[in-house]
Amino acid sequence: MKKEEIISKLKTIVKPYIQNEEGFKNLNEDTDFINDLEINSANLVDIILDVEDEFKIEIDNDSMEKMLSVKATIEVIQSKMNG
Amino acid sequence: MDSIGNDIVDLNLAKTQSNWQRKGFLEKQFSQKEQHEILNAENPFLKVWLFWSMKEAAYKCYTQKFEARFFAPQKFECSFTSEETGRVVFKGNVFYTTFFFNSFYVHTIARETKEEVNTFSAVGLPNTIDSDLKIKLAVEIGVSSEEIEKRKTGIGAPLFYHREELVTPSCSISHHGNYGAFVFIVANRC
Repeated sequence: MKKEEIISKLKTIVKPYIQNEEGFKNLNEDTDFINDLEINSANLVDIILDVEDEFKIEIDNDSMEKMLSVKATIEVIQSKMNG
Repeated sequence: MDSIGNDIVDLNLAKTQSNWQRKGFLEKQFSQKEQHEILNAENPFLKVWLFWSMKEAAYKCYTQKFEARFFAPQKFECSFTSEETGRVVFKGNVFYTTFFFNSFYVHTIARETKEEVNTFSAVGLPNTIDSDLKIKLAVEIGVSSEEIEKRKTGIGAPLFYHREELVTPSCSISHHGNYGAFVFIVANRC
């Protein structure tokens, strides 16, 4: 799946949890879920579960550890989909 | 220098913002032992957020020291040592936690030692918690709160300075819903 397509799906996934509209409007590869979107850390797991459902992948604990940014999340998604 | 962390959970917000009964929610974040304790608790919802706030407080303590960010709640293993204290173990590091909860919030403080030397904490409103901290800190070190300046470390941990001198060797601020909370250690000044 292309990066742009993943980002667009990710935007839909994170939307319910964001607390910084400006950060969301400017969402790109370098966006950090906590620092830029002000997503509560208690909701990170929801994003991970939503990503698993949307992309039909299973995310192991080691991959989950890195998923604090859009970039890291794209990498995990791509590696799992190709794996 | 010992580091300190804290975490607050607004229980009313947690009810609507998260669904702990969602498939995968417990499995991804809690150890087998913790899951067992949650599911057998009188109030599983409260247990979830108590464990969560212990993990978060310990994580904030750990990341100040190691300057790293990651999401690995399951690896912070919690156990209780009394009605208001617990231990969190992560990669061989032990964190001592004290917690307080009522029907509105859960607040946990994690530290590396059992002692509470020069430690100050409070729970307040989310938008005034920074100024509450400054006022408390100013009183403790005997300066004007207007002279205290907040800065952030590379990973976003707060530090407070007075005239270019670091006055909080370790500090943690937490916000959630209607609450804010802080904990800090005051430097020994000669």
